Amino acid sequence: MPEPLEPPPLRYQEEGNVHLDFHGAVNTTIDFIVGRYGIDVLHDIFRKMGTDVYADLRRHVLAGDRDEMVRHWRHFFTRENADYDIDVGPDEIVLTVRRCPAWHHVHKIAGAVSPHFCDQTSVVNEAIAEGSPFAITTEITGPGACRQIIRRRA
Amino acid sequence: MIPSDHFTRFYNEVFKFLETQGEADLELYWLEISKNQEKHILELIETRGLAGMYQYWSVIKDEENCGLDLDLHEDRLELHMHACPSLAKAMDNDAKPMTRYCDHCAGWIGPIMDKTGYHLVYDAISRTEPRCVMKVFKDPAKAREAEASAQLLMGWPGRKSGEGGR
Repeated sequence: MPEPLEPPPLRYQEEGNVHLDFHGAVNTTIDFIVGRYGIDVLHDIFRKMGTDVYADLRRHVLAGDRDEMVRHWRHFFTRENADYDIDVGPDEIVLTVRRCPAWHHVHKIAGAVSPHFCDQTSVVNEAIAEGSPFAITTEITGPGACRQIIRRRA
Repeated sequence: MIPSDHFTRFYNEVFKFLETQGEADLELYWLEISKNQEKHILELIETRGLAGMYQYWSVIKDEENCGLDLDLHEDRLELHMHACPSLAKAMDNDAKPMTRYCDHCAGWIGPIMDKTGYHLVYDAISRTEPRCVMKVFKDPAKAREAEASAQLLMGWPGRKSGEGGR
């Protein structure tokens, strides 16, 4: 029996080292955009991340494929040494992040984390899933902790 | 979480929005990023000068997976970037790259060099090729001399390219 084929690489599948200080620049940017232009502009930028930058992930979700999103989560949360697990069930997929590397790195280097910091997760998730058979919801469960759920829409 | 690997694509989207607001808005953002970066580099420059800059960009080379050579001289630091992961990712992108993506680099570095009394010469070479040359001098006359050989000289807030007279 032939071995199952390896899936093709993710559209963006960086390897090598990681530069966690970029999360600090995201935090600074969030405060800058919200302070000067308002929360709606920030959310528009995050929506473009979901629809334009992550167009390939969105194509998979629109086609009814949840697996690419799971591969994306595994690749990048592992690269950043997050404390997380993913429970794949028939009705829903639950990503539980017990220690978010982005939130905790910002907390370490900047002290204060923007109250809108986790909007990057919730709004990008919503945008990736918009118009698809699935909803991707984000529940903040504590400082630097969340649960992200992919669930078929009713 | 937007992975740190994808920050530059987020940056690109922010630049595209700010470009619609005008040049002053872009420059205010670069200044904000410059202030943010001070916590990573300012003390190094103030205590160790060019050697502190060398230390900072050595870490960047490693953590950001840059193809770059750093040369520390008595009177200057030279950074020769021949594989810039930042522009490379902004271009390897399902979203459209901002045409002036490269401008942000001098945009945040220049104000820090002005603040610390050093003189930056930033040659982006081309905005569509992931390579550039950055030189930082102690002596303003040497910086002006180096500007003459730049192919695409970058300016920054408070210092337009080709302005001279630093």
